[in-house]
Amino acid sequence: MRSLKHFFEQSWLLIVASFFFGLLIAATNAALSPRIEMNKVTKLTSLARGLLPQAEKFAPLRERIEIQGSDGKQQEVAVYKALADDSTVGWTFKAVGSGFADKIELVVAVDEAFETLAGFDVLMSNETPGFGDQIKASFFRDQFAGAPAAGLSLVNTGNTEEIDDKIVAISGATVSSTAVVETINHYLAQVKEQLQKKGLIGNGSES
Amino acid sequence: MDTVYILITGFISVVLINNLVLTKFLGICPYLGVSGRIDMAFGMGLAVTFVMTLSGTLTWMIDHFLLMPLNLEVARYVCFILVIASAVQLVEMYLRKFFPPLYDSFGIFLPLITTNCAILGLCLFLNLWGVNSLIEAVVLSFGGGIGFTLAICIMAGIRENLRMVDVPECLQGAPITLITAGILSLAFMGFAGMI
Amino acid sequence: MAANPDGQAGLYRDTLLAGLWRENPVFRLLLGMCPTLAVTAAVKPAFTMGCCVIFVLLCSNIMVSLMRDLLKPHLRILMFTLTISTFVTIADLFLKAFQPRMSEALGPYVPLIIVNCIIICRAEACASKHPVLLSIVDALGMGAGFTLTLCVLAGIRELLGTGKVFEIQVMPSGFVPWAALGMPVGAFLTLGFLLGFINLISKKRS
Repeated sequence: MRSLKHFFEQSWLLIVASFFFGLLIAATNAALSPRIEMNKVTKLTSLARGLLPQAEKFAPLRERIEIQGSDGKQQEVAVYKALADDSTVGWTFKAVGSGFADKIELVVAVDEAFETLAGFDVLMSNETPGFGDQIKASFFRDQFAGAPAAGLSLVNTGNTEEIDDKIVAISGATVSSTAVVETINHYLAQVKEQLQKKGLIGNGSES
Repeated sequence: MDTVYILITGFISVVLINNLVLTKFLGICPYLGVSGRIDMAFGMGLAVTFVMTLSGTLTWMIDHFLLMPLNLEVARYVCFILVIASAVQLVEMYLRKFFPPLYDSFGIFLPLITTNCAILGLCLFLNLWGVNSLIEAVVLSFGGGIGFTLAICIMAGIRENLRMVDVPECLQGAPITLITAGILSLAFMGFAGMI
Repeated sequence: MAANPDGQAGLYRDTLLAGLWRENPVFRLLLGMCPTLAVTAAVKPAFTMGCCVIFVLLCSNIMVSLMRDLLKPHLRILMFTLTISTFVTIADLFLKAFQPRMSEALGPYVPLIIVNCIIICRAEACASKHPVLLSIVDALGMGAGFTLTLCVLAGIRELLGTGKVFEIQVMPSGFVPWAALGMPVGAFLTLGFLLGFINLISKKRS
């Protein structure tokens, strides 16, 4: 008993402080977490709005879409339906891949039949400034607007004005360009398959 | 086979491509302080590897089996630092009692390591990189420690040679070490894109 | 302690100024190097980090100073750590809620404020031994010194590395940016040379 009393004498401040701090953290979290959640969604949809200007709002899918990532692991993809006057005008989702330096996160938008790419935008990247960083530049991104939504291939030289499935790489940033094209290809193929499986697109039936 | 491939590439990535000291700026304080001699540097590196592997694994387990299921992610930082501090304390007591020669060789490094940002940094990076399996967490933590050891031993080797060279007075000590670290990080950049 | 005719006010002024130059945490005491190198690629993240550190330093100094008579010697580091990690969690939540872009740019370096040596050292050296008002002044001084240092470093790196400061174009359009300054190389080199430069100035003064 004496050692218990001694223990409490020594550590009562620690215990009281822990309770107090725990309450403080919990209160702050409760007050701020709705705002934090909203921030995450707003970022993706604001970028997607730039790619699909005809959309009025973006609704998250009720169904859970999972694909196999490039590292072999199953991961969930956040897919949004772009709506205008309650009819689907496109789809948008977040794609993640490994670039030269770190992860690259992209927002990809496709049309409602999942046949043509509306384009992509960069959510997060840490690529080399002046080189890999150029994946955000319009001369690279514009090549994707209107390209077919499957089987894109990277070429070293070509006509950047021509919109087809050949994407001209950024000179001096081959790894970053390859990362973007491969990530988009990978996600397009799998998300399309998953959406077809859930009966949301494909074979002429649209929701 | 897939798992082994992921583990090996993850290990190489943390040691060379995303070296914790030279690309993520973790553990700079001991890096500047202890890299004077190779034997001290190696001792520090080993101590850091040991603590890093232990705390990386522990914090990953707590994160995955306790914090995430119970939606207590907001308490993550508090939990991590308390776990790291207690783990280091326990390791020190255990070593002092059962392996005195090992404890003597680690010396003063063990208490210093608790505030080493590399340990907490690695635990947070494990979370950021979306590590999903225990074995991957162990391998990456171990790799982080090995990367630190590699960087600090290279720096110690260079600094031992710098002692015989005419460094300008205002640059002696921390400045020249930082400049050397800069050149080292430039060299390590060559590893990027390897995998 | 300053032997000043204006007594307390002089002490406060000295403490405030000490953090800015004489005991500048980064340049003189060589503390808190990790965030200094990591977030100074541009001025905006550097300034945000500086503000977070000021907030955490202030709160933790106040809390520790209020508790200073109740602390048991062998538990005090644990108490400091607990206090600091609580306030860092709160600062991180505020950042995620009100400045999500900055929160992403700073990433894991905000929670690393917990192990930032500056905060624990000030709690140990100053807050646990002095009354609340002096601790507040010390926190403000050290925090301001740290923020100033970060901004100077970031200013150099961003100006020469991208031609912009605080995302405003400053350099003329013919300027080819030194992209290396935005990468780890640039961080180490800039800090190293800046430290050497400060050493030179101090040597010349004394």
